Amino acid sequence: MDNLPDADRRSIEHRVIDASLSLIARHGVARMSVADVAREARCGRATVYRAFPGGKAQVLEAVGRREVTRLCALVAGRLDAAATLEDALVAAVTESARFFADHRALRFVLAHEPGVVLPYLGFGRVDRVYRAAAALTGPHLARLVGADQAPWAVEWVARLVVSYLLTPDEGVDLTDEADARRLVATYLAPALTPAALAAPPADARLSSTRSSVPSLTGAEYVHEQ
Amino acid sequence: MPGARDIAYGRGVPDDPRARILTAAAEWIGRRGIARTTIDDVARRAGVGRATVYRYFPGGREQLLSEVITREVARFFGRLEREVEGSPDFATLLERGLLFAHRTVADHELLQKVVETEPERLLPHLSASAPLVLAVLRDYLTPLLAREGARLRRGIDAESAASWLARMVLSFIIDGGRWDLDDPVAVRALVRDQLLAGIFEHA
Repeated sequence: MDNLPDADRRSIEHRVIDASLSLIARHGVARMSVADVAREARCGRATVYRAFPGGKAQVLEAVGRREVTRLCALVAGRLDAAATLEDALVAAVTESARFFADHRALRFVLAHEPGVVLPYLGFGRVDRVYRAAAALTGPHLARLVGADQAPWAVEWVARLVVSYLLTPDEGVDLTDEADARRLVATYLAPALTPAALAAPPADARLSSTRSSVPSLTGAEYVHEQ
Repeated sequence: MPGARDIAYGRGVPDDPRARILTAAAEWIGRRGIARTTIDDVARRAGVGRATVYRYFPGGREQLLSEVITREVARFFGRLEREVEGSPDFATLLERGLLFAHRTVADHELLQKVVETEPERLLPHLSASAPLVLAVLRDYLTPLLAREGARLRRGIDAESAASWLARMVLSFIIDGGRWDLDDPVAVRALVRDQLLAGIFEHA
């Protein structure tokens, strides 16, 4: 495995991750074994272990990391296409909400094995998700809200979508552009006007000068271009 | 006799066996963690028999855990309400609330310990209580906002705004993120310049 070109190594990782998501969507995390993943990915168990020496735990970590990265890439694309700050925020909200709504593995886990994913969205850890989102999507908001303010704006969007993901409201459908725009225009956009952001508070943690993205579990993300 | 509010805020009749059992469970969890807390441990510590515990908590361990958590959450919000009572204005109420809530969560030894060691056992219960928590926060804030009258931006509906604020307050209680919620200056800016920016007319 060590002498494989990067492209091949990455493709095995993606195959394993895709296979895992397919299995989780059907049977959840507890019942997923490395043997199952290898079978689903049509490769040998040894291949899976070479790519993920940490076994199932490492596979799951990679699944989480890739899906957050994938969502952020989708959002970044929508941000690039947005004409105004409000449009950008609305697009970020709806894109995220649709991603969550359509994500069968996530839906299974939230419904049947919440203990698997809630820790990453809870006390002391959700901050890493906010930071990853800010690092990956902030640059795509900078032209609309300024480079300094972009990470703060991303965190507002992230707080909103995580709140509705974990505690839905029957009367609010964030996959619907009108509902998303009502919330964004009423509560979010006014908080992000130049006046409100004129003196952004100091970042609570030391600002990172690394170009890599903070990870969900402590291991480094790979920021794929 | 405790009234509805007392029960909601976890203030039961003294020496009530149900309350003793919940307290014993909370203490045992504090010492041994959730996974290693059994009905027998709790019964022994509460000075009652197993059968008694099951009579009050027929759902067993999971129900006991769920109710320990619900009681702690209710007590937290009871203390939060007392902390912000008498605030001179709405923004100050939110500032005091956020500062107090953040400090209380950070200093809550049992919570921090369980979050560190067994979050997967705790968080599903907290998440299950979130709809009720949001409703309580919303119902608390709505009349306070409605009272603000012309100070609110045109078109703002008190209940919808209270719903939004409830969600964001809970979000910040869970994690301050980029904001330093230990710093009253930062919290003041968060509340007045951002949380309330779309709700109140600018001063």
